[in-house]
Amino acid sequence: MGRIQLKGVQKDFGKVTVIPPLDLEINEGEFVVFVGPSGCGKSTLLRLIAGLEDVTGGVIEIDGADATDQSPGKRGLAMVFQSYALYPHLTVAQNIAFPLRMAGLTRDEQARRIDNAADVLNLTDYLDRRPKQLSGGQRQRVAIGRAIVREPSAFLFDEPLSNLDAALRMGMRLEISELHKRLETTMIYVTHDQVEAMTMADKIVVLNAGVIEQVGSPLDLYDNPRNRFVAEFIGSPKMNIITGAHAEERQATSIGIRPEHLTISSGSGDWKGIVGISEHLGSDTFIRVDVAGVVDTMTVRAPGKLRLAAGDTVFLTPDMENLHRFDKTGLRIK
Amino acid sequence: MKHLFTAALVSSFALAAPVAPTAAQAEEINVLMFGMPYTVGLAKLADDFEAETGIKANIDVVGQDVFESRITLSFTGGTGDIDVVHTPVIQVQRWIQAGWLQPMTDLVSEETTSDILAGPLGAYDVNGDQWALPFFAGVGLMSYREDLLEAAGAEVPQTWAEMLDVAAKITTDDQAAIALRAVPGQGFNMFIFPMVMRAYGGTFFADYEGGDLTPAINSPENLEALNVYVKLINDYGPAGAGNFNFAEVKAAAENGQVAFTVEGTGIISQLVDPAKSQFADVTGIALPPGGPAGRSPAIGVHGMGIPASAPNPEASARFIEWAVSSETVAKIAMSESFPDFTTASVAQNPEVIAKYAAIHPDFLTMRVAALDLAIGHYRPLIPEWPALGQAIGESVNAAINGLMTPEEALEQADADMRDILGL
Amino acid sequence: MTSHATPRRGATYELQRGYRLMMVPAILAVGIFAIVPLAGMFGLAFSDYHLIRGTNWDFGFQNFAKMLSDKRLMNSIYVMAALSFFGVALQVLIGSAVAVGLQKITGKWRVGRILFLLPYAVPHVAVALIWLSLFTPTLSPINAFFDLFGITVPAFLTSQWGAITAIVIADTWTNFPFAMLIIMAALQGISPDLEEAAAIDGATRVKTFIYITLPLLAPALLMVTLFRFIDSLKHFPMIFVMTKGGPGRSTQATNFYAYVQTFQNSNVAYGAAIAVMLFLMAALISYYVAKLNQRVTT
Repeated sequence: MGRIQLKGVQKDFGKVTVIPPLDLEINEGEFVVFVGPSGCGKSTLLRLIAGLEDVTGGVIEIDGADATDQSPGKRGLAMVFQSYALYPHLTVAQNIAFPLRMAGLTRDEQARRIDNAADVLNLTDYLDRRPKQLSGGQRQRVAIGRAIVREPSAFLFDEPLSNLDAALRMGMRLEISELHKRLETTMIYVTHDQVEAMTMADKIVVLNAGVIEQVGSPLDLYDNPRNRFVAEFIGSPKMNIITGAHAEERQATSIGIRPEHLTISSGSGDWKGIVGISEHLGSDTFIRVDVAGVVDTMTVRAPGKLRLAAGDTVFLTPDMENLHRFDKTGLRIK
Repeated sequence: MKHLFTAALVSSFALAAPVAPTAAQAEEINVLMFGMPYTVGLAKLADDFEAETGIKANIDVVGQDVFESRITLSFTGGTGDIDVVHTPVIQVQRWIQAGWLQPMTDLVSEETTSDILAGPLGAYDVNGDQWALPFFAGVGLMSYREDLLEAAGAEVPQTWAEMLDVAAKITTDDQAAIALRAVPGQGFNMFIFPMVMRAYGGTFFADYEGGDLTPAINSPENLEALNVYVKLINDYGPAGAGNFNFAEVKAAAENGQVAFTVEGTGIISQLVDPAKSQFADVTGIALPPGGPAGRSPAIGVHGMGIPASAPNPEASARFIEWAVSSETVAKIAMSESFPDFTTASVAQNPEVIAKYAAIHPDFLTMRVAALDLAIGHYRPLIPEWPALGQAIGESVNAAINGLMTPEEALEQADADMRDILGL
Repeated sequence: MTSHATPRRGATYELQRGYRLMMVPAILAVGIFAIVPLAGMFGLAFSDYHLIRGTNWDFGFQNFAKMLSDKRLMNSIYVMAALSFFGVALQVLIGSAVAVGLQKITGKWRVGRILFLLPYAVPHVAVALIWLSLFTPTLSPINAFFDLFGITVPAFLTSQWGAITAIVIADTWTNFPFAMLIIMAALQGISPDLEEAAAIDGATRVKTFIYITLPLLAPALLMVTLFRFIDSLKHFPMIFVMTKGGPGRSTQATNFYAYVQTFQNSNVAYGAAIAVMLFLMAALISYYVAKLNQRVTT
């Protein structure tokens, strides 16, 4: 259960096509992350799957059945909203019970599932409270609780962590990953944060302007980006992109090299540059280097204990194995 | 204390209108009137008065309900912000009783009063003092459609009994015979119904002129009159006639939906005016029907008085004298539809005669004939009349609309009258 | 939840005092324009002030005692109750329905919302005149239209329930936009996420409305009902223009009856007593609804 297929799915808002026809397959039990910059159509795509928006063209199949014209409630999916969308006039218990009530479950069954969910999500003490009496993290868990009690064939998450502070976000990321492991249910997760995508996903779908740029496992995207967009979007700090003479030397319009695939040396190397700002993270240090003939500064990852002062002259040497070349359309040259 | 209370009360009613904040000064007077052709015409002439006397007149013409709350607030509060007030004859006794007016006996000249029709003037003579000068005397007249009468082979009815017969002949599924005011109120159905009452010999009191104010509203004469009135409206009136006021009566006549109306001169003059009514050329004018006790056309007199709180009665009186002067009234008679003037010499004005003769040749003669027949106390001139008229009007309307039988209605009216009079 | 300011000295205290000072003009205005007339009305209600019978300024409960046996007053309360109940119910129902309907309209047609506000902008007397002619068979285009097909539309204004219906319709026509506006504002305050969440949770549109939208609208509905109900106790222009209280006395609502007592019957003290009773009624209803409102929102 939980296999979702999009066949030629298209979405127009008025005369504007936000998602040109697109195919995508999501397998049973997969944790799929839609990632991309804001406005790339990732949330729209999720809402199309949920049934909150009608497709302009194409077919959505859920577990082999055509769900294109099914109402959201009939698709057997659960969704967690960015705003949590908790019903403010209902208690936590009533919020969690709502989908069960709508499904016409018996009171006993409702109670059993609510207790179960509350137990899993540490909400037992809060069942009689109303949403506005809860913290952000608690609300998030209630929203998840409301989703899991339905025992859906797939969970849809729409930027669920973006309203939480950084520390809480990390914790919730783990909780959601653990939940996925335990439930083994398909999850589709939308985020603009590539770190969330990399850490949580089985499969990442990179979207840009409504178009799928690449689909693959996190490491696959990292190692073998299909094009410059994916290469730049995945990985933190960003991949260094170099155009001009250095690229032409290697028969490419542009070349890319990740900060971790540059070796820095004060003696010799391929590219000579001057040290700018250094960011010390303890384990790592990211150093900005101004290289002659390169428009932007390049970022280099160096061991934490490396000490270089601004203004020092350094030499950078790329690891040729991990140097990516891109043609003029942005595609990676293999 | 009293002033505070009353001002407070009136302002607490939803209908209360804002009061003019400044008291009148010597060179400026405030005139409060309610809408009628004469008052509308008068307001346009305010500059003439200022040119003549140097006194600026703010003439405020408002709706009747606003008027009532304004004066109640001003007079009970004694705010002195009104220098001249529209004074219907029907209210004058009540206002005198409430101490709202001051006499103008010594403020107006013999020259002015001698040019005013004696009947309307006398209506404001209470306890030997003159309390207001009239500018309007409307009388009841009947309009009829000559063509419809001819087609039915009927003559102009002279009595209400004949009216019933003629109405029966004229009424068909598509044509009603008569429209009469029916909505409750001393100025609405109680302007019209007493014409029927008095024709049958009915009265409000046992002996009004003799001073015996025992209610006599449930007399057999009044019952007969009410039966006629109810029958005319329900059997020979248009649909919905039970809620007609003068506006609906006028519209029904103008649209040819009825053959007869019995109305005040203000309405009748418009029905026979070719400029205003498409049936004017086939509409005739006659006296209202009579009965065993003769004919008693309705009469309604309006005048201008000086509030007790007016700070400068001389200026007020000057305005009133100007407003009822031959010259001013003639101007209004020419500019508005206003044949109901009470300034005698205006009737000799050739322009005025020509104007109203052109509307209908019989009009001015019929008006004078009706004025001759009208009795001053057509509606009793006592302070309690507004309350009595309201109560009786409600019962009469209830009888028209079948909420009570005519007998019950008059018994109710009798009980209400006794209650109001404290008997 | 309450948000009482803590009585803490210092900057906050200074700020609070500043705010209090700023309220002085408003308090004075309320005092002069509301409290003083109200006090005067209460005073009159206990007096014997009568324009033509003479006044001794005897104070007591005589006017209120008289009310108990005043059948016309009882009738007027009955009329008022009918007008208010049906009028307010229709206004809230129609106002909510239109608000919900209009919310679904997007794009350029949104401008059409203004159309629904127009009746509220028409003065009551003008509204009353419009509906008077619509309910007068000899003037009404409605009657003329049905006459073409040989159908006779009954005259509403000549029977008690017909006249009450007519006034309720006129009152509803002019006042439903008020309810609509408040409900519209309340609807805009409800996150669209909630309806979507409910849709995903398997609720139909009807169930979403009943279980989610309606409870969230409850405070606004309660408030609009209260406002309209209190305002409806002041029924006057519609009655004065459309029926003059007729047929007979059957549309003499209490405020109209107070008018008759004050202005026709010259019994100012009794009129004031009736006005006081209306005021107390409104105050009592406000109090209970405010309490109810508190319970609904917390």
